[in-house]
Amino acid sequence: MQTLRRTLIALPLLLAALGAHAAAAVGQIAPDFTLQSTEGKPVRLSELRGKYVVLEWTNPGCPFVRKHYDSGNMPATQKAAREQGLAWLSVNSTAKASGDYLEPARLAAWLAERKAQPTAILMDEEGTVGHAYGARTTPHMYVIDPRGTLVYAGGIDSIPSARVADIERATNYVKAALADIAAQRPIAAAATQPYGCSIKYK
Amino acid sequence: MPPSPISCHAAAQRLRLWLVALFLIAASALPAGAAAQILMKQGGTQSASVRTEHVQAELVAQAPDGVGPGRPLWLGLSITHAPGWHTYWKNAGDSGLPTQLEWKLPPGMDAGEIAWPVPRRIRVGTLANYGYEGQVLLPVPVAVSDAFAPGPLAREVTVRLQASWLVCRQECIPEEGEFTLQIPIQGTTALHAAQFEAAARAQPSPLAPGAGSGAQVEDGALALRLAGLPAALRGQALEVFAETADMIETAADPSQQWQGDTWVARLPLSPQRSAGPDPVPLVLAHGGQGWRVELPVQGGWPQAAAMAQVSPALEAALRANAAGANAAAPTPAPMGLWLAALGGALLGGLILNLMPCVFPVLAIKVVGFARHAQDRRAHRIGGLAYTAGVVLSFLLLGAAMLALRAAGDAVGWGFQLQSPAVVALLAALFTVIGLNLAGVFEFGAMLPSRLAGLQARHPVADAFLTGVLAVAVASPCTAPFMGASLGLTATLPGAQALSIFAALGLGLALPYLLASWLPGFARALPRPGAWMQTLRRLMAFPMFATVVWLVWVLGQQSGIDGAAALLALLVALAMAVWALTLRGRGRAVLAPLSIAVCAWLAWAWGPKVVEPLPAAGAAPVADAATPWRPWQAGLPDQLLAQGQPVFVDYTAAWCVTCQYNKKTTLSDAGVLRGFAAKNVALLRADWTRRDPAITAALAQLGRSGVPVYVLHAPGRAPVVFSEILGSDALRAAIDSL
Repeated sequence: MQTLRRTLIALPLLLAALGAHAAAAVGQIAPDFTLQSTEGKPVRLSELRGKYVVLEWTNPGCPFVRKHYDSGNMPATQKAAREQGLAWLSVNSTAKASGDYLEPARLAAWLAERKAQPTAILMDEEGTVGHAYGARTTPHMYVIDPRGTLVYAGGIDSIPSARVADIERATNYVKAALADIAAQRPIAAAATQPYGCSIKYK
Repeated sequence: MPPSPISCHAAAQRLRLWLVALFLIAASALPAGAAAQILMKQGGTQSASVRTEHVQAELVAQAPDGVGPGRPLWLGLSITHAPGWHTYWKNAGDSGLPTQLEWKLPPGMDAGEIAWPVPRRIRVGTLANYGYEGQVLLPVPVAVSDAFAPGPLAREVTVRLQASWLVCRQECIPEEGEFTLQIPIQGTTALHAAQFEAAARAQPSPLAPGAGSGAQVEDGALALRLAGLPAALRGQALEVFAETADMIETAADPSQQWQGDTWVARLPLSPQRSAGPDPVPLVLAHGGQGWRVELPVQGGWPQAAAMAQVSPALEAALRANAAGANAAAPTPAPMGLWLAALGGALLGGLILNLMPCVFPVLAIKVVGFARHAQDRRAHRIGGLAYTAGVVLSFLLLGAAMLALRAAGDAVGWGFQLQSPAVVALLAALFTVIGLNLAGVFEFGAMLPSRLAGLQARHPVADAFLTGVLAVAVASPCTAPFMGASLGLTATLPGAQALSIFAALGLGLALPYLLASWLPGFARALPRPGAWMQTLRRLMAFPMFATVVWLVWVLGQQSGIDGAAALLALLVALAMAVWALTLRGRGRAVLAPLSIAVCAWLAWAWGPKVVEPLPAAGAAPVADAATPWRPWQAGLPDQLLAQGQPVFVDYTAAWCVTCQYNKKTTLSDAGVLRGFAAKNVALLRADWTRRDPAITAALAQLGRSGVPVYVLHAPGRAPVVFSEILGSDALRAAIDSL
């Protein structure tokens, strides 16, 4: 009886602990979320079910993000994805107290200046969505299939560096995923190493 | 002659001049020497030192015997960080970049890998990195071979370094530096000997794993066993650093303990890890000292989670099919679609009244009608109570299904009859009700008078319970219009799913409700009389027929032995019920006896009833008599790849529509001839026993119940048929292959 009672008490705590650590994994259902876009409209992931969705964690204060935006690499990848019919959500999980924080209007302006073409730019100041996906760096890329399964998690390309010259030499993993999707085959490199600055969580 | 005073003075003056001249000559040599020293640090405009806002980096050398083939030579980058700033280790952790060194050395000199000192774990909120703060030297061993030939006149050798590092505090700044250093070939270069020695001490020493050491991947963590660590470490908590990036959870603390002289630990793996090295290199540290070990991974690294793959072509076809036939899109349905689904559910509930598995309960309903024909108000209340019972039961079933779905259990509609225990209990229940209808006992005689009176005074409760009973039996009968609605609810959010269930219940209860509210309807009902008793007795027989069907279902699940055991139990139960209606001595003797027999049978043969048949034994091998083969996951794709069309029949023993189709359309000679002519592989997926693989396959088709009929053809979209399989539709589809 004692052990039973102890087990009954411990079990929910254990489950809660497990829940605290369980971030999304490739091959599992991607966690649903609702976030406000920089235009003030709520965007819900499950509303996009039926098409592929790319999630991109971004932060203009990070030199790695600037490497990909100032060189035009990220906007070009976004354009390719949008033309192929995918939705692209740029997420910013920087906490309000961080030095890197940009108000929604300024963030949208920064991205627009660089000809970025996301479907929506989402503000995640609380960091809940970032934690749910296990997002660690900016940039950190995820691809979700039309049924809501996470099919790619990792970096934007294969050479971790802050040098613009490395972009041409590197394999763009998101563009490779787009090619796999167009050819209707499973994504070959489903999990790669993300690189960048750490996300400035709350 | 004596020296003149003037000549003495002149001599002293001349001596003084000479001394001054000598002194000046000597002094002029000094700047040259000093210049030689400075040259070592700054080769003209190039420098061995770079200073940025956050670090002071310097290229340093250690050449105790000068530079020459076979002589030890170390180069290194010494980084002094501003307070609060850090650079990174070879595995930077959750973010960041390791410092990178690119050497430009004269021919004959080869720089090796950086001998990284033991790092520190630096936490950044919920993330963590491995790196260095304060001051660190990253030494690199340089091998000088015989090809090193600087020439006879060379006094120094020039080494160049292009280094890039990421220095972070909260924000990160990538920095680069170009360094040039001249090292004298002869002589000792040991200005930074102390730093090099400290770095050597901080470098992890290689450790050979002892017997019984190894790593294993289990439950999303890397379980380590390591014997052979120095004895002084026993009982100490060690720091663990993984050399491979994107493998473990950097921020998580590994659980560790000592078992004798073996160190045991569990490192949680990152759920999105992309690395799986074998052997896995690790650095263990304690008190600034480190040990590097490579552990083989027993059993290897598991593949990334296999995704349930539905080929995009099949998915598109299913969506097109579903849009054309029944609206079954697996999204939170928009308003029009939802209303259509509700309408379909209502119609489905109405049709359920006609299904053979509901008809026996209709018997109870009709008896209730007859009883209350005169009392219109009681009639109406009874009708509402029945409706309430039905709707609430459907809602409860729906909520239970949603809860189970949330718990991840692979269930679909009709799960109640997949469990032999539930089938047995239902059979017992229907036997008792059949006996009651047949007049073997009356509820009034069995129960205490107060409860019996309660029953009579609360026909409302009675009607409510009748409604609940109707639902219990109706659940596995999925009618054509309900199929898609149920598939819809499997993927809808909670509120919409429950509304579909409620509409189903309303449809089922509607005839009774209408009869109770519309006087015209009720007036058409016959007046009570002796015919009621006859009708009541007559209704016992459909009830017993349902028991026969349930025993047959149980036979499919538990075999002939289980079915016979259940029949024996039912006989004993009937006897016990009858014995309880006796009075006096008969009752005193027979009642306890029959109850004892019942209990003993339940104890002895009960397990046989609920024991499911072993799946392998139950699956029939395809023989010449029947062209049907058992379905297996992946088999349709395999056959399609070989160019053979496939027809899959998802069925279950307790599904009456399935049995009906099986005996009619699927046994039709024309259909079977067509199948044979086109060499169609016939697969039967038997869902009687809650096979999770079949549940998953059904979910992919957007359905949560059986029957489902799918015709796959290579190079074509699959065709999903309606649940009452029409032989014309099937023959047309086969002919078009």
